[in-house]
Amino acid sequence: MSALPERSRGVIALIDDKCTSCMLCARECPSWCIHIDSHPETTAAPASGRPRTKAVLDRFAIDWSLCMYCGICIEVCPFDALEWAPAHRYAEPEAGALVHERERLTDWLPLR
Amino acid sequence: MVQAMTEPPVRAAEVSYGGTRWRVHDLALACCALEYAAATLRAPDDLPAELGDVDLLAAAPEVADVLVVSGTVTDALAPAVLALWERLPEPRYVLSFGSCSNSGGPYWDSYCVTKGVDQVLPVDVYVPGCPPRPESLFDGLAQLRRLAGAPV
Amino acid sequence: MTKSWSDAVAGGLGVEPVDEFGTLRADVAPDRWLTAVRAARDPLGCRFFDWLTAVDEPPDTLRLVCHLARPPRDGAQMRRLLLRTTVARTEPVLASVSDVFAGAGWHEREVREMFGVEFTRSADASSADRLLLPAGFEGHPLRKDFVLASRVAAPWPGAKEPGESDALLASGLASGRAPRRRVRPPGVPAPEDWGPSDEPR
Repeated sequence: MSALPERSRGVIALIDDKCTSCMLCARECPSWCIHIDSHPETTAAPASGRPRTKAVLDRFAIDWSLCMYCGICIEVCPFDALEWAPAHRYAEPEAGALVHERERLTDWLPLR
Repeated sequence: MVQAMTEPPVRAAEVSYGGTRWRVHDLALACCALEYAAATLRAPDDLPAELGDVDLLAAAPEVADVLVVSGTVTDALAPAVLALWERLPEPRYVLSFGSCSNSGGPYWDSYCVTKGVDQVLPVDVYVPGCPPRPESLFDGLAQLRRLAGAPV
Repeated sequence: MTKSWSDAVAGGLGVEPVDEFGTLRADVAPDRWLTAVRAARDPLGCRFFDWLTAVDEPPDTLRLVCHLARPPRDGAQMRRLLLRTTVARTEPVLASVSDVFAGAGWHEREVREMFGVEFTRSADASSADRLLLPAGFEGHPLRKDFVLASRVAAPWPGAKEPGESDALLASGLASGRAPRRRVRPPGVPAPEDWGPSDEPR
């Protein structure tokens, strides 16, 4: 079987460095299958400014048993933190195991 | 598609994972059924070796070892799905093919969709996808074969 | 769209049709529904029954829509006709057209199940049987006020704001910023409007 092009529709990979926990993908997902947890972190004030607060990603999970692979999450992400990856062999004996957490989602990245 | 039997169910040969052919019957409900057909309508030589000697187009549940559920299960149809499953002789296995039979998929919030065929049948392997590619199906079937104790 | 087809429809139905992208749309009064469908078949020649369905138009009406076609013949092109009428939500009753088009019976059963419109039949028919919904189903799902309970019951992953987690929401502590109304996903009514309640509504 010939190799598939990069970013072929297979699995959705997460580039967690780019994710700002903006929640857009979780809100736009029609299947409600993206689960995000984050917490606020405050950075010290720069010389002429005030302390800044930003959201830091804790949990990013996708439930593949619900996902319909529409790609809306990838399209809507303002930071390009999600990408298609051509992986297809991740069947599981338990439905719960089809929930991929942050680490597994970032592991898909080299495949594309 | 649930097929009507015109003859009484007869197990043609002793089927086991010990080396003889294992047989898979597809319950064709929706889009995934067409993808199952597209993946399986090929010469036996074209199938990956990891599947061993397999018949992916078993004509009836009575001669099948595995039931593949391909497509959306609705609440109105759920009793018929169970009735079909009960026609498989033991040992028998279920492979859920695609998001609809895994969990209800994109129709999880529908007023009439069963949220996964595992609400009705015991599922042994879940193949993700909407719809899954042939590679995904073969991966799931290979996993099922190993789960069932087939020789590697 | 030739004027002759538009004129023919106007003459046959007694209403002025509107040209919508190549299909003529004719709105008739509900008490003239059966007459209009009969006239569309003969003499207007729309012998192909395509579909019959309904649209919920809150607050007061359910609109019934029927698509018919006059097949092409003798060099004349195919002509399409969209017949529409309305019934009141409080009394959704309409004459059945299954005597004109036998196939309409199935569509009327579906509309009955999904919208609750009762079609009076000249002949007795087993229309009480469930068509697509399981036995014991309550409500008419395609009405706009039918709430999808799964969306109310399942927690929406998008309910969180950036910087919040399930643990934080469960603990009841506010996030660092000022509290604001939670965003609700489409189709989910406010808890005070729908859902379990200790008090009668």
